[in-house]
Amino acid sequence: MVSDQKSRRLETGDWRLATNKMMNLSINIGTVKFANPVTVASGTFGHAEKYYNLEEVKKLGAIVPKTVTLPAQQGNPPVRIVETPSGMLNAIGIENPGADGFIQQKLPGFKKIGVPLIISVLGHTDDQFRQLAEKFNAVDGISALELNLSCPNLGHQVLVAQDPQATFRVVSLVKKIMNIPVIAKLSPDVTDITLTAKAAEEAGADAISLINTFTAMVIDVETRRSKLGNFTGGLSGPAIRPIAVRMVHQVYKTVKIPIIGMGGIMTAQDALQFIIAGATMVAIGTANFINPRAPLEVLNGIKEYMQRKKINDIQELIGTLNSPVIR
Amino acid sequence: MASIQDIFKIASNDKLCPRFYRMQIDAPSIVKKILPGQFIHIRVSQGLEPFFRRPFSVYRAQKYVEIFYEPVGPGTKLMAKMNKGDTIDVLGPLGQPFALPPKGTKQVVMIAGGIGIAPFLILSDCLKKKKYDLILLYGGRTGGHVYPMKEFKDNGVKVLVATDDGSKGTKGRVIQLFSKVKMDPGTTFLYTCGPNPMMAAVQHFAGEHHLRGQAACEEVMACALGACLGCSIKTKSGYKTVCYDGPVFDLQEVIFH
Ligand SMILES: Cc1cc2nc3c(=O)[nH]c(=O)nc-3n(C[C@H](O)[C@H](O)[C@H](O)COP(=O)(O)OP(=O)(O)OC[C@H]3O[C@@H](n4cnc5c(N)ncnc54)[C@H](O)[C@@H]3O)c2cc1C
Ligand SMILES: Cc1cc2nc3c(=O)[nH]c(=O)nc-3n(C[C@H](O)[C@H](O)[C@H](O)COP(=O)(O)O)c2cc1C
Ligand code: FES
Repeated sequence: MVSDQKSRRLETGDWRLATNKMMNLSINIGTVKFANPVTVASGTFGHAEKYYNLEEVKKLGAIVPKTVTLPAQQGNPPVRIVETPSGMLNAIGIENPGADGFIQQKLPGFKKIGVPLIISVLGHTDDQFRQLAEKFNAVDGISALELNLSCPNLGHQVLVAQDPQATFRVVSLVKKIMNIPVIAKLSPDVTDITLTAKAAEEAGADAISLINTFTAMVIDVETRRSKLGNFTGGLSGPAIRPIAVRMVHQVYKTVKIPIIGMGGIMTAQDALQFIIAGATMVAIGTANFINPRAPLEVLNGIKEYMQRKKINDIQELIGTLNSPVIR
Repeated sequence: MASIQDIFKIASNDKLCPRFYRMQIDAPSIVKKILPGQFIHIRVSQGLEPFFRRPFSVYRAQKYVEIFYEPVGPGTKLMAKMNKGDTIDVLGPLGQPFALPPKGTKQVVMIAGGIGIAPFLILSDCLKKKKYDLILLYGGRTGGHVYPMKEFKDNGVKVLVATDDGSKGTKGRVIQLFSKVKMDPGTTFLYTCGPNPMMAAVQHFAGEHHLRGQAACEEVMACALGACLGCSIKTKSGYKTVCYDGPVFDLQEVIFH
């Protein structure tokens, strides 16, 4: 009701606001300010500088490179990806050059772009998380650290983000080390996402990122084998979007810290669903593979929507879901 | 945000033989930059089915960017229905091109299986100026996989054909054609593209006869930009992405099984 009235007021009397004043798209995570709420999801935006139009990349609110582990990982055996109805499975297995390799070989290139960097890390043990935190705390030019507590492709029996106590423990130990905001990336493969979200908040997380992929499988009926070398993979893309929107909203109602929402965002309309559901920031993942221009189109579409709805500050939009009309 | 993504017009889309189609795309920006062995990544549907883009080697780049394709599944079947004047969303050029033959090469042998012939027309367009003896060994499953290959012959390429069913050329696999060509290791260079078992056989033959060469590989792709690490194949120096590190690799570098 409240937001309904507000938007009606904006539509009738106060339309000058939208055209005269600068639109404010900036958002905060912990103490860090980002120029706008659009970023890319870890593992979907690459290192290949030669292919990117850097002037366009510079317009993003932040960049999240692929998850980094302590030692280098070679990744899973092929086949690593398969398409599914409105989505895909991946079982990359966090192929990455390791923390030292990343800091030496890749970080300088990412820093040069000049967009705030959110570095994603994954430890296989608490001690690895600690060492990763120490390494990245000692590096300049990083805006936040995202803890990947939720990669389904590494053969772990239970993910950190499937266990509220483990989530609390890992986030706490990293928080003690880091001087920059810490983000907990959660798994949707749980019966109650609010439990891990709450655990992350209580441990001091500055934000929550969700969702990672769902563990899933595709079978080739001719050979009766899984189509992936790793047997199972993570489902992403528009196929998971409605579940992701629901989870973002549930978490929004449970915690006070900001949410980075993702899962199947292809267009601005999709991203707006997440923002209205309660996401402070939105990440574009799989869509980068289908339409590399998706992040920019999302950003521009959010601006157009705000203009059309006479909203001057993105804060006025976050979590403004109206209750349904009962007929 | 990729500087190499654009929307182009289709200039023509024709069936050249029972199995293969050729699409010409009016993409001058790609024509200017493309090198033999590189590919383009096409969004075949505006909707979500099929979901991924589809990669295609560039067959020729003169006035238009040309691709040569076989309708095998939903994506390529949609492409076969496209018409002159339709628009198409293309990423490219992508990937590492073929290397020029090393110094001292006199004879270039291109070994293709099925639609793997695609990158060899643009290669022969480039190599014909350099006075090599150009030979194409082509293997198709059926006569329907064989077309006149006039463009190759116009480039001075000697074409030898084998079909599995013997309906055209020699009966059997492309490997059977090896005995018909004299290959001296010091002066011969191989290029191959086709199904993995065929390229594995070429690799084996080349290894035994000390012949050098390159292979253009395939794997299912999502981004084609080196970002997702989804198209990795096994090589002697670990996993490599076909889209970014390849699709062209040293023939002995790839582990085909
Ligand atoms: C670098 C590169 C260059 C290529 N160049 C050409 C070309 O010039 N002409 C051409 O016709 N095709 C080419 N291909 C293969 C082409 O991309 C596939 O045929 C196409 O993606 C099939 O899509 P579809 O929806 O029609 O069939 P799908 O239903 O996706 O696949 C049908 C069959 O083709 C196989 N397949 C699917 N994708 C690939 C792939 N990327 N590589 C090998 N097999 C695949 C599937 O396993 C299945 O058996 C190339 C592939 C790569 C990676
Ligand atoms: C190919 C691929 C690789 C991914 N790699 C990572 C990763 O390294 N770390 C991570 O936290 N999430 C990774 N993800 C998950 C995404 O960041 C994102 O959470 C998920 O895909 C849902 O968003 P989407 O549907 O927009 O892709 C990966 C996803 C894909 C498709
Ligand atoms: S297809 Fe994404 S890395 Fe090759």
